[in-house]
Amino acid sequence: MRARHTASRLLQYLLLQALIAILCIFVLVHPLPEPPSNYVVTGFQLNDRGETRRATLPDFVPTRASMQDPAVFTGHFTWSAREADGGWSVYLPRFTNGVVVLVNGVEVLDSRRDPTANRADRATPEIAVIPASLLRDGANELVIRLFVWGPISGFLDKVYAGPDASLRRYYERRTLLFVTLPAVFSAWQGILAVILIVMWAMRRGEAAYGALAAAMALGAIQGFLPSAIDQPAFPELNSTLLTAGPTESACVLAFGILFFGRKWPRVLGPLIFIPGVIVALVGLFGNPVVTRQIFLYLGVPAILLHLLLLALIVGWSEMRRQDVPSLLLGCGVTVVLTSILHDVLEVAGFIADDRLFFTRLSYSAMLVAIGAGLTFRFAQALNRVDGFAAHLAIQLHAAEDKLKASFAREQERERAAALSRERARLMRDLHDGLGGQLVSIVALSERGTEGGRIGEAARAALKDLRLVIDSMDDIGGDLMLALGSWRDRAAAQLRPHDIALDWRAAPPGLPVYPELRPWHVIQIIRILDEAVTNAVKHAGAKHVAVSIETRMEGGGEHGCITVTDDGKGFSIGGENRPASRGLRNMRNRAARCGAVLELSSGAGGTTVRLQLPRRFPEGDAAAG
Amino acid sequence: MASTEQLPAQEITILLVEDDPPTLWRLQDALVKAGFDVAAAQNLAEARASLAARIPRVLLTDLQLPDGHGVELIRETRARHPDTEIMVISALGDEETVISAITVGATGYILKDAFPSDIAATVRDLVAGHSPISASIARFIVRRTQANAEPPPGPELNTAKLTPREIDILWGIAKGFSYAEIADNLGMSRQTVPGHIKSIYRKLEVHTRGEAVFEAVQQGLIKL
Repeated sequence: MRARHTASRLLQYLLLQALIAILCIFVLVHPLPEPPSNYVVTGFQLNDRGETRRATLPDFVPTRASMQDPAVFTGHFTWSAREADGGWSVYLPRFTNGVVVLVNGVEVLDSRRDPTANRADRATPEIAVIPASLLRDGANELVIRLFVWGPISGFLDKVYAGPDASLRRYYERRTLLFVTLPAVFSAWQGILAVILIVMWAMRRGEAAYGALAAAMALGAIQGFLPSAIDQPAFPELNSTLLTAGPTESACVLAFGILFFGRKWPRVLGPLIFIPGVIVALVGLFGNPVVTRQIFLYLGVPAILLHLLLLALIVGWSEMRRQDVPSLLLGCGVTVVLTSILHDVLEVAGFIADDRLFFTRLSYSAMLVAIGAGLTFRFAQALNRVDGFAAHLAIQLHAAEDKLKASFAREQERERAAALSRERARLMRDLHDGLGGQLVSIVALSERGTEGGRIGEAARAALKDLRLVIDSMDDIGGDLMLALGSWRDRAAAQLRPHDIALDWRAAPPGLPVYPELRPWHVIQIIRILDEAVTNAVKHAGAKHVAVSIETRMEGGGEHGCITVTDDGKGFSIGGENRPASRGLRNMRNRAARCGAVLELSSGAGGTTVRLQLPRRFPEGDAAAG
Repeated sequence: MASTEQLPAQEITILLVEDDPPTLWRLQDALVKAGFDVAAAQNLAEARASLAARIPRVLLTDLQLPDGHGVELIRETRARHPDTEIMVISALGDEETVISAITVGATGYILKDAFPSDIAATVRDLVAGHSPISASIARFIVRRTQANAEPPPGPELNTAKLTPREIDILWGIAKGFSYAEIADNLGMSRQTVPGHIKSIYRKLEVHTRGEAVFEAVQQGLIKL
């Protein structure tokens, strides 16, 4: 089943290539339009190396070693002064390799001065206007000296002499086809070379692009090089580059092998470059004639072989993958192969030889295929990248959503935990303060006669309530803000007892503690409250002083709050039970906040010194 | 202002509005003992009747009244009798009560459990032009001056009119520094601090409906 499928695919591919080849042949053998036959110059006498014979154009002369020994064609054409409208020209559609044209003994054209005309692979036409003063009424002599420098034999197609107005458009048409178009394609090949070099430079791993860039660069250079006949500055280098065709085709083949996914054959791979190297070495060290010979007999077959191999590789790739680049290049190779076979057969004399070579021209079809194929691959890669990016974006989105959901859950849990912690703290604080005070209010009210003390207890309860409310406020770690409120409350508590509150706090006061939490604030304020209450209730003090300062100790800042009274003091750990319970409370609270409580008491009064920690602890571990 | 400072206590008339009888007796007792001329009312209607009969120098009012809210009484009094000093009576001195009273025209507050001597002193200070302010109220106001995307909870307050100096004074009070320390720190005269506080209260007041709309537009709260 699969084999049948493959076979049918192969058949389809081969049929397509055959169709393309047939179309090519049809185009190649289709004759180009010719000027009216009454302008053809006939009846030529050929004088070649001392021999004279009649010649009918088109005609061939053998190749020769000397550049100074042309074959001379002598013919005649008729010009009538009366019938002549406008200037006359002599038009030579095709010749190899060079011509000098003389009318009535005067030179009107020397094609050797035109570099494109000197290249045998380009069918460059020539046209020359005959100065009116040269023309005679009646018969005019036309002499064509044909120079031949190989590697193929000399050739002279039909020669036309007639009104410039009717001849020139045929000349222009051929120029467009055989001169301008190849130049355009060479330029395009140059651009392709630059693009591929950049591509290869950015992606060194892709040797295929390097090989193709080399091929394109060689091709582009060849298109603009003068031939040896033009006497270039470095003739050897010049001829080497001009005959780099086998190297170029080897590079294209290497590209085909690499691009269509075949592993580079370690041993056989370099062999494809051997013909190119031989031709290049001969070009560098041999003489021009030998160079041209070796190009013809080694270079051209090598190119043909390379193209055949490329056709096989591309065909195989098309069978395997059925992708657009293989198909395009396959068709391109077929076009070039057909053309080169046509040209070779023509030179070898197997088919009618009109010396029109189409290899270079058809090569442009392959260039178009390569360009389109590469662009297709590039666009495909971009699409794949886009698809990948879109897929990635979807995945990212999903992950983000999941993360958001889990974050929201986490946040909700945290909020619930914080709320329950806060609730627990509030309960504890209210129990410690307000609860006890309310109980004592109840107890006092039952005794009936303790009016003043009931008021005192109730006031203490209110004061504590304010402390709890106040401590819930966010003070941004600035303990001074909490102490400011406490100052108001403490002053209100002391005023009825006629005790002055001496407040010493120089700006800026205490350092800011970013980790400060409400429960720290409550502990600290309760310690200070206890100290003030002791001064009022037990010590009988007249003055209470609170001083707030920041001390530099051990390389760090320590906040320090000191409460001093001038009361009668007490003995620490003595028999005064409520006082000692209060002291124990104060120490506990200080420990929970990581603060150090120092207490000294004597006849002159009591000093409570609370040294705040560098950092307040996070958990209320001692709370139990 | 200088003339009122010398005003004898019996010439200072007070209207006291409080619905809880024991609290009313306690406050009235404290004020009468200090020599003030006190009229009492237990609800809005009584208070309005009393105001119609006699314009007091000082209005002391609770906010939660059986037939309405003290805020209305403060707003009315402020509009009709601009010379009357207004104080709110608060159980806890929390910002909720005090700030909402200040925004309608009160310039001070008294704690319900304050000692009689303190109550009298506060009224006397107020008549002399010295508005009382607690550290926690100052803290609440300055926190509202800080540009936050999400305003902290509590009553609405427009602090746009406060000057940087006034905000500095509030910071000093919030941190428990004395007026003297604040004045020294800011390089100003100690006697001017109480005046600044009354001015702060006045700036926090939203005077009329029209002005409230104007301010809302200014702050971009309302789009025209």
